This record gives sequence, C-alpha cells and structure tokens, in this order.
Amino acid sequence: MQTKILLDEEQIPKKWYNIQADLATPLDPPLHPQTKKPVVPADLAPIFPMELIKQEVSRDRYIDIPDEVRDIFRLFRPSPLFRAHRLEKFLKTPAKIYYKWEGGSPSGSHKTNTSVPQAYYNMKEGIERIATETGAGQWGSALSFATKIFDLDCTVYMVRTSYEQKPYRKIMMQVYGAECLSSPTTRTQSGRAMLEKDPDTPGSLGIAISEAVEDAATHDNTHYSLGSVLNHVCLHQTIIGLEAKEQLAMVEEYPDIVIGCVGGGSNFAGISFPFAGDKITGKHPDVRILGAEPAACPSLTKGLYAYDFGDVAGFTPLMKMFTLGHDFVPAAIHAGGLRYHGDSPIVSKLVHEKVMEAVAYHQNEVFLAAQTFARTEGIIVAPESAHAVKAAIDEALICKKTGEAKTILFNNSGHGNFDMSSYDAFYQGKLVDYEYPAELVKEALAHLPAIP
Amino acid sequence: MGEDILKEAGITDYLVVYEYLGQSTAQDTKRATQIMVEQGCDLILFCGGDGTARDIFDVVERRIPLLGIPAGVKMYSAVFAVNPVIAAELICDDTSIVLRDAEILDVDEDAYRAGELKTCLYGIARVPALPGKTQHAKQVFEEADEERAKDEIARFMGEVIKPDTLYILCAGTTTEAIARHLGIEKTLLGVDVIQNGTLVARDVDEKTLLRLIEKENDVRVIVSPIGAQGFIFGRGNQQISAEVLKKTGLSGVIVVATPHKLRDTPLLYIDTGDPILDAAFGESIPVISGYRIAQRKAIFHQGTCVT
Repeated sequence: MQTKILLDEEQIPKKWYNIQADLATPLDPPLHPQTKKPVVPADLAPIFPMELIKQEVSRDRYIDIPDEVRDIFRLFRPSPLFRAHRLEKFLKTPAKIYYKWEGGSPSGSHKTNTSVPQAYYNMKEGIERIATETGAGQWGSALSFATKIFDLDCTVYMVRTSYEQKPYRKIMMQVYGAECLSSPTTRTQSGRAMLEKDPDTPGSLGIAISEAVEDAATHDNTHYSLGSVLNHVCLHQTIIGLEAKEQLAMVEEYPDIVIGCVGGGSNFAGISFPFAGDKITGKHPDVRILGAEPAACPSLTKGLYAYDFGDVAGFTPLMKMFTLGHDFVPAAIHAGGLRYHGDSPIVSKLVHEKVMEAVAYHQNEVFLAAQTFARTEGIIVAPESAHAVKAAIDEALICKKTGEAKTILFNNSGHGNFDMSSYDAFYQGKLVDYEYPAELVKEALAHLPAIP
Repeated sequence: MGEDILKEAGITDYLVVYEYLGQSTAQDTKRATQIMVEQGCDLILFCGGDGTARDIFDVVERRIPLLGIPAGVKMYSAVFAVNPVIAAELICDDTSIVLRDAEILDVDEDAYRAGELKTCLYGIARVPALPGKTQHAKQVFEEADEERAKDEIARFMGEVIKPDTLYILCAGTTTEAIARHLGIEKTLLGVDVIQNGTLVARDVDEKTLLRLIEKENDVRVIVSPIGAQGFIFGRGNQQISAEVLKKTGLSGVIVVATPHKLRDTPLLYIDTGDPILDAAFGESIPVISGYRIAQRKAIFHQGTCVT
C-alpha cells in the first residue's frame, strides 16, 4: 500500500508550463489605470524586473527554470504526492484521494515556488529591496526567505487582522531578516488615507497591495513583488502540477478531479494548469477542475467577470477577472490568504469559459474538514488549504453515493502550525460563518447609477 | 406573587416569605427579594421585564445570580431565558450551573415617547448560562465599534433600497441607523414604513400595516433580532404578524444586526404564532452585519437540540 510517491531531485522540472500558449483566445490585456489603454512593458518596468514582465505576456508553452533557482528548489522540491488511504477509509469512499504536499517548504507553503524565482530575477537586474504585501503571512515569509537567499532587503505589508492573529508569522519574517509592518501603515499615502477614513479597518490584501506598490514606485532601488494573481506567479506555481502529473503517472493514474483553494488563484493554478492544458487541447477533455473559495469572499462563484483594479487605491492596472469590487473589504475570516476581492485573470477566464468551476464554503464546515484530515492523515493544514480539503472530502462523499472510484487530486498548499488560534476559535464555537449577500448586492448594483 | 400559579400547577413544596396588599409595586419586589436573600436562596428566578430585573438587581447586585422568565413585554436586558422551557433547562441541574455576566438595561419610556431610545446600562448581573451558548473572548477590529458597524450596515442597505418598493422598518438602533442614512427620522421602538425616500407611516400597528401593503407588489421587512434573546419575529414586534409576512413573502425579509449583537446571540428564534410559517424560514438565515457582509446564523425550532 504505497502512501508517498516521490521524485528524485534531478526530476525537479526544468521548465514551467505556460497555459497562455494553449488558451483558445488570448487574455484580455491589462489596462493602464489612468489611460485605460493596454499596458506596455515600459509601464511595468518601474516595479517589476524585465524578465518577469516578459513571462507575464509570453505565449511560449514552456519557459526555462534557471539553474540557480532549481538549486534553491532542491531544499524542498520535488514535493511528495500522498495517497490519503486513511482519509479514504474513514470516509468509506471508493474514491482514490491524492494530495500534493507543499507544506514542507522552508516557509511552510507553496509560496516559495514563486518567491525564489522572483527574488532571483530582481537580484539579476540589480534591485536592492523588494516591497510586498501578505495576507495570512505565508507569502511574506516565503519572500523573506527568498530575498535573504539572494541578499536583498525585504519590506512586507501584512494585513492588519493577520498581523494580530498570527504573530509568529511576523517573527518568522524577522528571523529571515525582513521588515514586517501592519497594514495599513502611516508610511504610505494610501495607508494614511485608509486610516483616516477608517482607523479601525481590519485591513485587506487590496489595501496592502496599494501600499507595497506605492513603496516600490517611490523608491528607485525597490521593486514590487506579488504572491498571487499575476500570470508569471501562476506560471511559477505550475511546478506543482507538473510534478504531480509525473508522480501520478508513476502509479498509472490520471485525475478525474483536480482541486485547489482559491484566493488570488496561484496555488489553484499551480496544481491545475498542466491538467487544464490537457483539457483545453483535448487530451483529457473530461477532467474536472474545481476551485474552493470562502463564502465570505466568493469572487469566482458570486463575482462579476469584468475589468477591475487589483488593489483598493487603484494603482494597479485594470485586469479582466472575477471581482467583488476593488473597494470591497471582505470579512475577517481566518483563511486570511483567501481574502482577495479578485482572482487571477487566467483562472477567471478559464472559469468564465467553463474549463474550470468553483464552489464556496463557510468557515465552520471548512475547519471540520480540516479536523477530519488531521485525525486521519496527521497533517494540520492551513485554513486556506482546508478549503481544498473540504472540497476533496465532498467529492469523495459523492463517489460514496454513486459508487464511482474516481481519482481526486488536491493541492495541500500549506501547514497550519501557526494557525492554532484559528483552530482554538473553532473549538470554542467562535468562528463566524460569514458570507457574501450576493442577491442583495445584485439588487443594489441593478439600480445604482452606472459609473463611467 | 405567584403562589396561586404554583398551586394551580400542583406544586406544593414552597415557602411564602412575603405578602403584599392591593396592587404590587417595585417596593414589593425589592422587599420580597430582600427576604429571599435573608432566607439564604441561591438563585432568584423571576417573571417580569426590565423593571423587575432592575428592582431585583438593586437588592442582590452580583452576590446572587438571577434569571428572568420572559413575560411578553419588551425586554432589552440580557438576563432573560428565551422561554420558560429554556429557563428550566438552565437551572434544572444545579451541579453544573455556569454563570455569565449579563447586562441589565432599561428603556426610558418618557424619552421613547419623545422619539429617543435611552437604554442605559443599569448593572451587570450574574445569570446561569448553558456552556456552549456563551461567547467568551472578543473578536478583533470589526467588532471594536458597534456604531461603526451600524453605519456600515446602513451604507449597504442604502444601496439595496429600491425605488417604489415599500419597506417596513422594525424597531431598534440598527434600523434607526438605516433610516438616518436615508435622511428619514424613524421611531426607535416602533415599526415605521418608508417608500421612495419618505416616511409613509410611523409606529404602525398590524391593521395599518396590512392596509398599507394590501395593494403593493413589492414589500420588504428590515428587521433586527432582539439582542441576546435572538427573536426576529414574535417578541417586541407583534405588528409583523404571520399575515403581514405572508404578504411580504419570506424572501422579502432582510435581517440586520451588528457583529456585537450576533456574537451574544448564538441562535435566532421566530415565533409568529404560525408554526408552518416559522418552519418555512428553514434552518438558518443570512444576517447583514456589515457592508456587503453577512453572517449565516442558525434558527432554533422547537424540538431541535440545544447544546
């Protein structure tokens, strides 16, 4: 009964998979926030290295992973693929559940898959400092690790609720030598404006992004780095799905369902794009690809597919994506990493075109699923990853009803070892089942005057 | 002071410690409580409203726990059990009683008549609580300022409210904040009706409501549950009868409450007098608690296990 399916270090993929090459129609271009015209590389150059800008728009199917990056990846990749025998047995399901375990990286999540190459490309172009935002702290700690490896300084704007709820994440960033600030801060104009408007704001990813972008745009030696949403981030994360595909092939499997949790969409993209590519190109047209998001911030299931800003202040380009509105500040759920109003434009397009689908869950049912997983498989997952666990369990239970032995693959994106206060809240009955009142919002939007 | 009721119920094991003449007054409540304290009682169980709670608290303060059995009047204090059955559950096992703090509030009726709700905090009593029904630690940030939460709810409702639709605004400070946001002066403890940004009728009774909504195609009810007890309908807003709700339809009910109130209100209740209608509300309901934010809250139905 094989439980772990492992690859050698030499089998770390040498190329990332770029799904833009296989899209039926090109992505709608990002638009300049002021001119509303498509952005050109020169617009992005003040905050991103040119190599990442090229990756952002590339339509090459495969893009080389630099050897220096693969050398760092040796610390934690290839990640193991597990067969969840005990969970299957507990659920009494005929389904076969596999999960890719990304919690073994230095910072405890999949985020290092992109923080390492991003820090590398910035270092190569002579940048001295990177500014970024973080929701739950996973991205901030991953970038802190990567910048230290390449001898760069790092400033992290951490969403205020997470800063308070997860003090160990900020200490982790300190260990890696980064500066971690509670966002909104008084350091940036956008942060000060938010605090003036609402001193008690819980903060949000949208606000923190505004601050980090402003920081980068106003310092010559500083670039900005984003941990999700953008095409190049999703590209870097495809290493997860590429490895998983190899590992499943070793046991002669191909998934019927691929699942990931969705905030900005990068880990979902990472596990699913190599399989979504097979679906689009007709190699495996029947594979289902399912994103699991929080009911409190259900952009894919309840959002509007439209151009919107990536941040609250409107500094970023407008992107065509599923959005709840860039000024929407989601409820302070414990899966802080999923509190984002929008979604990756590629993921959004694929959901819009029904290549992918999505489901939304409340907090308590998600933590209950996480508890089941911990008590069967042993791993205490992050609240974000618990959404994927919940979806995998639900799909396995459907198989139990239908008697189908489907193969389910999900991305277990990170550990929850710093999230014990969230589990404690669950056990004390203090978790609020927040949700987005979609019908009322729809009514509100229906009779509001159109904004030109 | 209840002896006749005990007799009627067949209960004989009791002691009469105080008798009064004529109409009972607040002083009688206080004197009776004082004697009970002197007799060494461990819990004061009373039937009444906020005034009675205040009178008893004057005597026992935090030394002896108290618990109110709801008596069908407006009760803003958090010392009341949801109903007599729950009150019995709370005290039936005296080895496992857990005490919690509960605010005693009282409404200044004179101020209310002048259109102002003055619910001052009178004291913090000790009441029996079922473990698991009590919330402990505070939530951060978004519950830090209840007034801010009301403004956020009002901002969202301001976007939701449509032209031509008739809105029934129930009692409370949250619905009052919505009216204020719309520039409408609302009664605080009454049910008011608005349409197209103007007040159609204030402090209406059921009959007036039924007349007002008779020819309307689209009627909505915006209601906030009573704090701590959790009643959406059936306590304090009897004007919103089953007949009214049948006209508005369940989809026309918009429940609003601040996170603060919801934190202290683990379950919601509906008691319209029509069990079929009550059941139609289902197991849970979304409650608007911020700008484009709702909380899914369980509705308690008779026969459901409370833990």
